[in-house]
Amino acid sequence: MAATADDTEEQTDAPGSAPVPGRRPMGRIATAVSVFGELLITAGLVLGLFVVYSLWWTNVIADRKADREGDKVRDTWAQQDTGPGALNTKNGIGFLHVPSMKNGEVLVEKGTSTDVLNNGVAGYYTDPVKATLPTTGKTGNFAVAAHRDGHGAKFHNIDKVKVGDPVVFETRDDWYVYKVYDILPETSKYNVKVLSQVPKESGKTKPGHYITLTTCTPVYTSRYRYVVWGELVRVQKVDSKRTPPKELRD
Amino acid sequence: MYGWIWRHLPGNAWVRALLSLVLVLAVVYVLFQYVFPWAEPLLPFNDVTVDNQ
Repeated sequence: MAATADDTEEQTDAPGSAPVPGRRPMGRIATAVSVFGELLITAGLVLGLFVVYSLWWTNVIADRKADREGDKVRDTWAQQDTGPGALNTKNGIGFLHVPSMKNGEVLVEKGTSTDVLNNGVAGYYTDPVKATLPTTGKTGNFAVAAHRDGHGAKFHNIDKVKVGDPVVFETRDDWYVYKVYDILPETSKYNVKVLSQVPKESGKTKPGHYITLTTCTPVYTSRYRYVVWGELVRVQKVDSKRTPPKELRD
Repeated sequence: MYGWIWRHLPGNAWVRALLSLVLVLAVVYVLFQYVFPWAEPLLPFNDVTVDNQ
């Protein structure tokens, strides 16, 4: 019964100008409009995918890479357990722990180029100002940068860092415990003075052991830079169990 | 455009749907693997350093 009904329907529909889906000859303008519309929809989908890529996929890739490189650094540390040994700067020089950012440990590598930072690590500045590594023991500024969003987003929660919070840098032999003493929530990206060996903008006038964290702000843009300054409080020797300093324990 | 692709895919509706899915995945793969990594540095979203440029 149903089949015959369908048949008759088709027969009555087919001969006229009745639309068979997808076969109806469209006017030139209608075709152009429909293709244009489809292109717009496609563009929207591609932009949406780009957001997914930037905010999620780059994090997946970068975290994977950073974990691998971090493991490599820890392996190297474990192997050369005695003697000073040359600091291997290629794989990373240590780990940054900022409890108030709640992001675990961040591997620190040399340089702040996108190639480096996109691996989900923090990079210490070599240009335009050379960062002074804490391991040298000299006074100066240990300036590092990391991504705010995407590519690991290691400094995403930099706005949660308050004055007085600890920032700990872990190397093979030492824990360098810094204390945040000043924050600049917004500055121009040309303001390289924040990286100075004595960062005057933070109110310091004498040489000391400083650390500077920079990233972009507001979130999801790169309009300004966010700067956090800390000063070395003490250096603690790493013990055989790598017990973290008390700042990292609670 | 998409109608044209659909009509030119072989097989019945199921095969076509499957092929469409494969095509979509291929496009997403190319975008994530090649196009977006290329486009990202050209867009001003992820400069985190201070510099003179």
